[in-house]
Amino acid sequence: MPLLRRILVRLATGALVMWLSVTVAFLALHALPGHIEDVLAGDMNYPGLHEAIAQEWGLNRSLPVQYADFVGKIATGDLGTSYVMRAKVSEVIASQILPTVELALLAGIIAAAIATALAVATSGRGEIPRSIASTLEMVLTSSPVFWIGFLLLMLFSFQLKLFPVSGGDGWRAIVLPAITLALPTSGLLAQVLREAMERALEQPFAVTIRSRGVGETAIRFRHMLRHALLPAMTLGGWLVGGLLGGAVITEKVFGRPGLGSLTLSAVTSQDVPVVLAVVLLAAFTHVAISTLLDIAYVLVDPRLRSQ
Amino acid sequence: MSDVQHGLTVDALAPTRPTATQRGLRWRPPLSAAVIAALAFVVLLCIAVAAPQSISFYDPLRGNFLQSLQPPSAAHWFGTDRLGRDVLSRVVYGARYSLLIGVSAMLISVAGGVVLGVFAGLRNRFVDEAISRVFDVLSAFPSVLLALLVVVFLGASMVNVAIAIGLSGIPKFGRVVRARARLVREADYVTHAFIYGRTRASVFVRHLLPNVLTAVPVIATLDIGTAILAVSALSFLGLGPQPPTPEWGVMLAESRDVLRVAWWPSVFPGLALTATVIAFTLIGRALQAHFERRAR
Amino acid sequence: MHIDRPASLPALPARSLSAVALALAGSLFGGAVQAQPAPLAGGSLTWGVTTEPVCFDPHRSSQQNSFFLIRNYVDSLIYKKADGTFAPWLATAWTISQDGREYTLTLRKGVTFSDGTPFDAAAVKANLDWVKDPANTANAASFLVYYDHTDVIDPGTAKIVLRQPDSTLLESLSSVKLGFLSPKILTKNVDLCSGGPGVIGTGPFVFEQYRRGQSVTFARNPAYAWPAENAKHRGPAYLDRVTYRFLPEYAVRTGALSSGQVDVIEGVQPTDIGLFQDAEGFQFLTGPSSETSFTLNVNYTQPPADDVRVRQALRDGFNGEAIVRSIYRGTVPRAWSIIGPSNAAYAKPLVGTWGNDIAGANRKLDEAGWTGRDSEGFRTKDGKRLTIALGYPQPYVRDNRDILIQAIQAALRENIGLDLDVRIISAGEWAKQTATGTWTIYPNTDNPSDAAMELWDMLGSGGFLYGNIKTPDAETTGLIDKVRLVPDPTQRQPLLNAIQERGVQQGFIVPLFAPHYQIAAKANVQGLGFEPQLDAPASAYEIWIGK
Repeated sequence: MPLLRRILVRLATGALVMWLSVTVAFLALHALPGHIEDVLAGDMNYPGLHEAIAQEWGLNRSLPVQYADFVGKIATGDLGTSYVMRAKVSEVIASQILPTVELALLAGIIAAAIATALAVATSGRGEIPRSIASTLEMVLTSSPVFWIGFLLLMLFSFQLKLFPVSGGDGWRAIVLPAITLALPTSGLLAQVLREAMERALEQPFAVTIRSRGVGETAIRFRHMLRHALLPAMTLGGWLVGGLLGGAVITEKVFGRPGLGSLTLSAVTSQDVPVVLAVVLLAAFTHVAISTLLDIAYVLVDPRLRSQ
Repeated sequence: MSDVQHGLTVDALAPTRPTATQRGLRWRPPLSAAVIAALAFVVLLCIAVAAPQSISFYDPLRGNFLQSLQPPSAAHWFGTDRLGRDVLSRVVYGARYSLLIGVSAMLISVAGGVVLGVFAGLRNRFVDEAISRVFDVLSAFPSVLLALLVVVFLGASMVNVAIAIGLSGIPKFGRVVRARARLVREADYVTHAFIYGRTRASVFVRHLLPNVLTAVPVIATLDIGTAILAVSALSFLGLGPQPPTPEWGVMLAESRDVLRVAWWPSVFPGLALTATVIAFTLIGRALQAHFERRAR
Repeated sequence: MHIDRPASLPALPARSLSAVALALAGSLFGGAVQAQPAPLAGGSLTWGVTTEPVCFDPHRSSQQNSFFLIRNYVDSLIYKKADGTFAPWLATAWTISQDGREYTLTLRKGVTFSDGTPFDAAAVKANLDWVKDPANTANAASFLVYYDHTDVIDPGTAKIVLRQPDSTLLESLSSVKLGFLSPKILTKNVDLCSGGPGVIGTGPFVFEQYRRGQSVTFARNPAYAWPAENAKHRGPAYLDRVTYRFLPEYAVRTGALSSGQVDVIEGVQPTDIGLFQDAEGFQFLTGPSSETSFTLNVNYTQPPADDVRVRQALRDGFNGEAIVRSIYRGTVPRAWSIIGPSNAAYAKPLVGTWGNDIAGANRKLDEAGWTGRDSEGFRTKDGKRLTIALGYPQPYVRDNRDILIQAIQAALRENIGLDLDVRIISAGEWAKQTATGTWTIYPNTDNPSDAAMELWDMLGSGGFLYGNIKTPDAETTGLIDKVRLVPDPTQRQPLLNAIQERGVQQGFIVPLFAPHYQIAAKANVQGLGFEPQLDAPASAYEIWIGK
């Protein structure tokens, strides 16, 4: 059954990549100059610190044992302890993850909406709408996300006073950050969708549909969008990774709490366990979503099923 | 965010549309107005990098405290910032940081990607799979987060930022080069060359390298834009060059606190960044169109 | 706990005409026409503050911005008033022995920790011994350098015995850093920095919840009946609950207050003051400045700053007045000494006597042999550039001070060709530098304490800056050790002046400006004030929310 095999191969690859990431992280930790205790401690020094580190990481045991331990811990969700914050990393991350997930999800939805609207409105409708859309998309993907945030802040918060400047309270506080994060992504997504739709519009079956009297917009929505979604799906994992990375920046611009501000302060205070955990988490999310989308792609595209 | 912001990576890999010329429509000049403008802008950037004092009027690090936060005027075309420094001069001098670090990162990506890609494409299945997994691991990490990891391990500096972004860009080049290399390897003319007794090395140089390298300059040019955006993002977060360096991301971070009363310290560096990325994107696309025409 | 306006603050924008008229009318018609409304109990208050404390343990914290949060749940033995005298608090009376080595304190009856443990002499002993124990790495241990032990005479009387007299002890006992936590939680090797309901004190509030990265919440302690003697009311706090939200960015705090998301903010960007001062619906308050000024402490044992001429050139090579005025928009005064201008121990002879002598600075550097110039315009000697590193520890960065230092860096480069290499460093790196004595310039204020104590901290042979340096300046450290022995203020002052003067003359210290905390709040928040000893906003005890 080639389909099942394809799916299993995808899953195996995904798992392999995750395992390799963890291994690389472990090697990087141990390859750094200086004692690993100092690296993990972030140069802090308080009573009981060194004992705690030695016990948790088993630094007196052999390297392969430490490695097995490390992988095992991560597999079971124990992400270690942050000595700088004196708390378990998984708790710290759990307390901060919700605002970031909200932001990324909302931004993703807004990006999808904008991209779809742009693609449907301008694909195959002539040179002028195309070039306007194309230029807009290029400007959006070329602008730094934090600058877009500043511009929106200046216009909507300071001048028009429509939205709060900061914080994480209430639905109003998430609007500007979500739009900021969504815009560059929507530019890229719109490009992909539009090109896929145009290719689909040039296919013979489009003529058949038109001859049935279906209107232009309806064609795009009901028939072509499906075809355009395939290439978009391959971008999915990429997009998620980009959204997570962009969330870090957007949270700083708008003063929102979340994984972004957590990670940044962890970097400043040299809190290796936290940064490592967040980065691995992002990588895992990316891989998981990519793998799922790959599988979905295989399932959705009938052409691939029968090979 | 860089991979996502960089729209044309997808372009480079997607199948191509027939060009207007091919469709038999009206003749278009070889270079559109937009591309010419982009080239001119890049020339301006190069001047800014090599000889910034020739296009700016003030010392970027010297501020007149009596003139802090002045709006744009005849004396200061882009206004002054909090410490009374001329924003135009800072934008001009800042070009070198964004560009040099961005280009370095791109070169690291190219070097790593081409070498690994060639090996993956030409060697046996095992090497190919192993290197492809390396690409997968590298692309699993969003570039901003990978950079954070590098910085927490190695410290915040321009070099480390370049390394981090360079690493995240390797898969982009690596995969394309690998695909080309595989194609060439299996091509008939290569088999014939071996039959005729040519050495591997000469086959490589004569047939493979040019073929592989037609793809690279396009991606590289497009990649400069991505790299510059990533560099500025990391500087904005405080992980790259430190104040008072006039790097564009740093300038944007500094302008944050006075955003309510002064728009010019943030708008102009941001425009410079956007214009730079657009310029390289346009040139990259033009290059791509050129190579595609040649390939037919 | 009232508001102090330091005399040296430049004139603030004039009050509106109607306010002046009202005041005139009030005085004309004899006495206050409006009686103060009665405080209302209940309600929650939300602050927006700059810094999330790294440590919630009063004994171990060193961040100035953590103390006014900690004050909500920690009380002290005595309370230092704005005029410099002390009022009873957890100690109702105290006597000092003739030789200055024994302090006998009578403790207030009926005080309990919020876990039910009584506050008594044993609790005092437990806390002071804990701080003194080096294994606990308490920051407050520097207050107890001459502490020997505490005798528990009876539950209501404690006697603190010192190895030698220490004129700084009374003020140290009024500091939150020597406040009291329940002896039950002061076990060996415990780490209370992470906060949470387990941190138990006697204060008007109890620690309810800490949400990392977001906020900390304190709830009223209903049993509270022991504020300092000069407090405006006795009995429990008015507020049910007070929350401090961590909003590190200026724009975010300002926006939060403007839009009503918070009730009070601490730390207002100079360009935003106009939004709240004399504005409808808001109030703006400025605190005292009696502790240390924001000062560049120069390590005079590290080259090239080991040459007095280089240090003096650094001190004189920029126009401090203009820079401070420009960055802070005239809201804070330039400093002449490391001790703050509102402090009685301020060395008045120093005012107007130094700084901004660029010609003189250049001359001194020429004399010192730094006559070469490199391609970027910096001075060189024997091929080496004149560079002094400045490491600003990240947890202490606030209040636009990093901008100020950048401005000085630019001025020094332009005026005298000195390269001030500014870097933000991590707390860990800072700890390493002080442990090895390799720090070069430390820009900061010191946690508030007695003036002699502060000088000891910053310039003394046992302080955290020079404690690990083998040969600090003997004249300075000698004077500092001496002044700690002298209890009489009139006898102390000449010594304190001498220390400050020497510090500035020799370029050991380059005072920059006298910081004041600034609070902006909604107009209906009443009872806001500052604690003189802390030089910071007071705890939420006296605050109530009006209509």
